[in-house]
Amino acid sequence: MAETLSYSMPLALTGLTFAIGIRTGLFNIGSEGQVYMGALAAVAIGSASLSYAGHAHIALTLIGSALIGMLWALIPALLKVYRGVHEVLSTIMLNWTAYYITMYISSQVLVDPARPEKTLSVLESSRFSTIVPGTTLTGGIFISIATALAYYFLISRSVLGYEISLLGSGIDVARYAGVNVRKIMIYSFLLGGIASGIAGGLLVIARPPTYAIYGTLGNIWGYGFEGIGVALIGRNNPIGIILASILYGGIKNGGRFMEYYAGIDSDLVKAINGLIVISLSMPELFRILGRLVRR
Amino acid sequence: MDDSGGRDRPYISMRGIVKIYPDGTLALRGVDLDIYRGEILGLLGENGAGKTTLMKILSGFLRPTRGLIYIDGKEVRFRDPSDAINRGIYMVHQHFSLVPSFTVLENLCLVHGRGFLTTLKGLDLDIVREKAKKLLSVLGLDVPLDIPVENLPVGVRQRAEILKALFIGANVLILDEPTSLLTPYEAKELFRFIKELAQKGAAVIFITHRIREVIEVTDRVVVLRRGLVAGEMITRSATPEKLSELMVGGEAIVRREIATSERNILAGKPILSVRGLVVLDDLGRPVVKGVDLDLFQGEILGIAGVEGNGQSELVEAITGLRSVLKGSVILNGVDITNKTPSYIYKHGLIHIPSDRDRLALALDMKIYENVLIGLQRNPAYHHNIIPRIINWDTVKKAARELIKRFSITAESLDAKARALSGGNRQRLVIARELSKGAKVVIASNPTRGLDIASTSYVRTILRELRDRGAGVLLVSSDLDEILELSDRIAVIYDGKILGILSREEAKRVDIGLMMGGVQAS
Ligand SMILES: Nc1ncnc2c1ncn2[C@@H]1O[C@H](COP(=O)(O)OP(=O)(O)O)[C@@H](O)[C@H]1O
Ligand SMILES: [Mg+2]
Repeated sequence: MAETLSYSMPLALTGLTFAIGIRTGLFNIGSEGQVYMGALAAVAIGSASLSYAGHAHIALTLIGSALIGMLWALIPALLKVYRGVHEVLSTIMLNWTAYYITMYISSQVLVDPARPEKTLSVLESSRFSTIVPGTTLTGGIFISIATALAYYFLISRSVLGYEISLLGSGIDVARYAGVNVRKIMIYSFLLGGIASGIAGGLLVIARPPTYAIYGTLGNIWGYGFEGIGVALIGRNNPIGIILASILYGGIKNGGRFMEYYAGIDSDLVKAINGLIVISLSMPELFRILGRLVRR
Repeated sequence: MDDSGGRDRPYISMRGIVKIYPDGTLALRGVDLDIYRGEILGLLGENGAGKTTLMKILSGFLRPTRGLIYIDGKEVRFRDPSDAINRGIYMVHQHFSLVPSFTVLENLCLVHGRGFLTTLKGLDLDIVREKAKKLLSVLGLDVPLDIPVENLPVGVRQRAEILKALFIGANVLILDEPTSLLTPYEAKELFRFIKELAQKGAAVIFITHRIREVIEVTDRVVVLRRGLVAGEMITRSATPEKLSELMVGGEAIVRREIATSERNILAGKPILSVRGLVVLDDLGRPVVKGVDLDLFQGEILGIAGVEGNGQSELVEAITGLRSVLKGSVILNGVDITNKTPSYIYKHGLIHIPSDRDRLALALDMKIYENVLIGLQRNPAYHHNIIPRIINWDTVKKAARELIKRFSITAESLDAKARALSGGNRQRLVIARELSKGAKVVIASNPTRGLDIASTSYVRTILRELRDRGAGVLLVSSDLDEILELSDRIAVIYDGKILGILSREEAKRVDIGLMMGGVQAS
């Protein structure tokens, strides 16, 4: 169970990114790249010796991750709002850009001189320690859940959240209601970027034992896209997403055991997991498609 | 009105055509129509008269609920448009049907030999090109064959569409409101061309609501009104007045007692004043071409006109949803030209839009959430202490009150707005907008699609608003509604106000004439 939660920690956040996009009527699939950038920032800040910072080191690292995730999301936002570039195109391209930047920096700049297959590990002062001994579950899970709760509050109670939902239900009604469409679109991207940036940060500073990025990006890869499934299962509702991320984490975690104990080929495990996720996402997927068609 | 005396028998006859749409709309109520070779037949009628429906039936796009079609005296049944095309009947729709990213030539290839097999066998572009060129020179038409359709001006696109029709071998050509997108020059060209076509023996059916055009180009005219043939005339013997009367119905002068004396109105200062307004449509063409209007407190100013003469763009420009190219809009002394909708609402204008489902409601959101549309920044609905946090309890309370006061039938506040019937949706919109307490109301087709009870309810509310001193700008393509409610009536045609009549002097016939583009004397 602790291991399951550990998997779900980043997924809840990347799920939020996709969900908030859909709620705005945007198909924002840029989470993956924002995760990379957030992880990169975490390594850079977390491995720097900021002795005077003390325990604030963790906070600084996460803020750095969130900020760079946000900045990375600002690019597709501006492209969309001022140049009409569709977000699917720009975010896919930026995912790859982030991928190569992270590859380069991980292997050339922030590389661990002793172990060139990974980056420097972040210092003790910016690590979350495990809360269940013998597992990889750390206090990072609380950051993840708190963020999802904050987003829930924002979406369901604030004027910003309301305007996001209005825009999501149609650009015409949003304009009629006096919503500043460009501003809200940009905010939606930025909120998404923050969540995925934090996810990237947590993957580095809250997933023992490495506390670093592998040169293959193997330990930070894929969470952005899996977030889409999580968001769909959680019906784009932050509370639902918390639950869906735990379910998804369970499936992922369980998959490992299928490999160990039943000797099932890992690709088959992935295929089975994929099937489970697709069947669970169907209702929400149909709803979204239905909305697009009606428009 | 027998006009076939000197002619052969009709080429096509439609008999007793009835059309009921699946949603129950009775669009045609038993129409007879004859079409002769070599004539240009005008099909005239107001919006919703059934012109398009009738011709879609003739061209195989729709099946009649009842009624028969004869060609050369033999009964035919069309299962789909290709059946009609095989009999030489082709309809050019209001919205064209060419593939935009293909060139004209490629579009022709799509219909050449008609079908996949030709394409698979490898289509000889040169053969199609030769055939098209020959056709163009015979017709005296000029259409570039190698430019993607989307890059062509609308007029040329239409010619390409006609080229396609003749390429297929059409000898009955139906044009649905063909001039609505054209410049006057392009329209002239089109008229010249269809006259030539008719001389060569084709039948051309020209659908329009513009009386002037009927007189200019047709040989014979059939007037539809509310799904029935209202009359038929040889164009030479028709007068604009007569046609207008047939189109809108022949009632005499409309006289009704007046709530507010018009002199009082005009003595005051206008609460909304529009000057020299020029507005472009989505394609960048001017569709509001210099409109001046003054709206006074305590009056309903009706804007009559056939749909598509610039009224929707006019409303959007006034309400901040579309930018103003030239001119000004002054609301209560404040310049609101090109201001945002929220700025305009704040200065006392509310907008009840024609397309309420798309503009005024978020159908997939809950009913109480819809009550907040446009009010979301009003601190009255926010948390007492934390700013910009919505207090949904206050919103729900307001929603409950509105629902009670406006007799809205809703199962629960938590239901989606989509669950409401059309009448209740409009009540919800009006309830919410009126709760904003504005001095100027812009209502666009406010009773379209509503049941009788809701219609009369909405009209009562508009009158009450007027009596309480608001200025109401009522834009409607329903002439009866305009005549029933308005204190003054402005007629819009082709982006301009052709005239403003007071209710006493407003005659149906004159308004009908002006709606058809003829300046009343
Ligand atoms: N697809 C449809 N479904 C239901 N009603 C329709 C449909 N198309 C047209 N109508 C209705 O049928 C009537 C006649 O419409 P139409 O033939 O388009 O008139 P016109 O072309 O003369 O403006 C109108 O009341 C219109 O609202
Ligand atoms: Mg029509």
